[in-house]
Amino acid sequence: MRLLKTILLAALFSLFLSGFAQGEDATEIMKKSHLAYYYAGDDGVAEVTMTLINKKGKERKKVFTMLRLDLEEGGRQMYYTYFRKPSDVSRTTFMVHKTPDGNDKRWIYIPSIDLIKQISADDKNSSFVGSDFSYEDVSGRHWSEDDHTIVGDTTYNDRAVYLIESIPKRKIKGIARKLSYIDKENFLPLMEEYFDKKGKMVRVFRADKIETIDGLLTISVRSIENLKKRTKTIVSFDSIEYNKGLTKDIFSERYLKNPPRKYLKK
Amino acid sequence: MKHIVRTLILLLTATTISAQVEIDGFVQSLYSGRTDKSNPTSTEYPASESRLQLRLEDIGDNGEMFARLDFLYDGADSSQYVFELREAYLKFRLGSNLDFKLGRQILTWGTGDLLFINDLFTKDYRSFFIGRDDQYLKAPQDAIRTEYYSPIGSFDFVWTPRFEGNRLPTGERLSYYNPSTGQIVGTGLGEQFLFDPIPPKAAFKNSEIAARFSRQLAGFNSSLYFYHGFYKNPLGARIVDSVPIPLYPRLNAYGFSLRGAVFSGVLWIEGGFFDSRDDRSGDNPLMPNSSIIGLIGFERQVATNLTANIQWQADAILDYDRYKTGQMQTSAFVRDEIRHLLTTRITKLLLDENLNLSSFLFYSPTDEDIYLRLSTSYKYSDEITIAAGGNIFDGNSQATEFGQFQKNDNLWTKATYNF
Repeated sequence: MRLLKTILLAALFSLFLSGFAQGEDATEIMKKSHLAYYYAGDDGVAEVTMTLINKKGKERKKVFTMLRLDLEEGGRQMYYTYFRKPSDVSRTTFMVHKTPDGNDKRWIYIPSIDLIKQISADDKNSSFVGSDFSYEDVSGRHWSEDDHTIVGDTTYNDRAVYLIESIPKRKIKGIARKLSYIDKENFLPLMEEYFDKKGKMVRVFRADKIETIDGLLTISVRSIENLKKRTKTIVSFDSIEYNKGLTKDIFSERYLKNPPRKYLKK
Repeated sequence: MKHIVRTLILLLTATTISAQVEIDGFVQSLYSGRTDKSNPTSTEYPASESRLQLRLEDIGDNGEMFARLDFLYDGADSSQYVFELREAYLKFRLGSNLDFKLGRQILTWGTGDLLFINDLFTKDYRSFFIGRDDQYLKAPQDAIRTEYYSPIGSFDFVWTPRFEGNRLPTGERLSYYNPSTGQIVGTGLGEQFLFDPIPPKAAFKNSEIAARFSRQLAGFNSSLYFYHGFYKNPLGARIVDSVPIPLYPRLNAYGFSLRGAVFSGVLWIEGGFFDSRDDRSGDNPLMPNSSIIGLIGFERQVATNLTANIQWQADAILDYDRYKTGQMQTSAFVRDEIRHLLTTRITKLLLDENLNLSSFLFYSPTDEDIYLRLSTSYKYSDEITIAAGGNIFDGNSQATEFGQFQKNDNLWTKATYNF
């Protein structure tokens, strides 16, 4: 009798504990996911084609090279972008010094007037070059900015995934809740559904193609669909290389004006 | 004309042979019409032109070259074909800390938005006032530029052997204030009103030196500047046959600037001291007095896709009493000791950043004049952009900086195909 009671108590206790563990696990999972997606390797060089599709199906293409350097795992990062197409913005360079717990710093260089301009970087939700990707989509939203809970699990594209609900700690315009489908094995986000405060789905992120490059799992084609505007942006990495040995000095005004040719494919 | 066609053919042949040279560019038409019928210019069209720009780039293992060529048919006044080599330079690096850029190039530094204190590189206000693209505000210079990077900061040094003054309204398409007659004039009143200042002789001693030292200081990009050359506007004069002919007085300039991110936006401060070498005492009424100029500006995103900035510049004439006496001797216009200038830029992006609405206002409460630039541009596709806008000048006096252009108001439309 006493043994049975002990076992019952132990079972109840562990059930209770696992309830807590669920909350912790969710944040741990989101942290692993963030690192797997945004901090793969110590640095990366990618040739990117970004296709913007408007509601009438008309397409626009932007082609650029993006360099990334991690200064801290999950923390400060630097980004450098060299635009190639369309031709009216070709040779324009753009740089971000990302600080997760503060405002990013952003600069743009316009070669036709030899002008370096520092731009105000207050809004991480503003669109990156007019696409459906915001600056936050490109450089990442820190896992500590939301409260996460595991709400279930399922399969997505034959992969076992965690279903994690995230609610922002500070209000964001237009987004009240996010539902992420996180791969149980590699922690990459396979899909993210965003809902407004009325519960209507307003945008969707999808990992359309996943490949192993340089031994690291990479989402080589990803897209965001804006369901309100009926627009879609597809970002495809035509090539990506990791751990090229990028150094901090490349992410400076000197290199904004003199692109680091070593890393830019011709 | 034949000369230009020959150049174009040679160029295209050379580039098709050398398959590694990349070519891109644009074709553009611009039409600008004046709105003030009493403008004493020779033409009603500040601009009526078609332009082909070709950009060539070759990147080698040890250096690179870039050329930007403009072929223009300018029908505004006396129709003519114009070829301008806007840029043609080579770049290379010596060691790991010394960068060189040699040749015809566009140079910009300083922190102001359309306000220039330490940026004493050649400007083209003619293009700026008639609706041409922003890139045409900067005129190219043939120069040798070197930049040396060290842990304490970077040194930027530019030597321009041949001085070229700012391209200012000459009276043919844009009128200006003539101090001798005390009126706004243009070539519509006669060829004698063609504005034609005397440039310094092409001599080694007349070359320009511009230098800058920059480093990060407490999160601010900080710079010190030095310039040795001439005023870029012909603010001086020499009497020839009892007529004052404008010329470029000698100048040394010293300045500083700070720029950094604060209050969710970007703040900049710049200052400069202009040492008028031809009139240090301020006694010569034909030469400008030395002056001090300061500027502060702030920009931030105020709403989704809406960015705004404001600037305040103050410019003080030194030895003001002597300046005033000199001006009154010739009953010329007397400027206030300190001229204040406020500016604001507002840019709104719509339709996935394809529609750009922008305005820039210059307002001087002391000169009592304004200059308003408006522009709307719509990117119809990756290749095609159409735009329209206007330039509006107004002022209580005909002699102030913007007031003198009050008859030059114009509206323009532009179409560009980028390839």
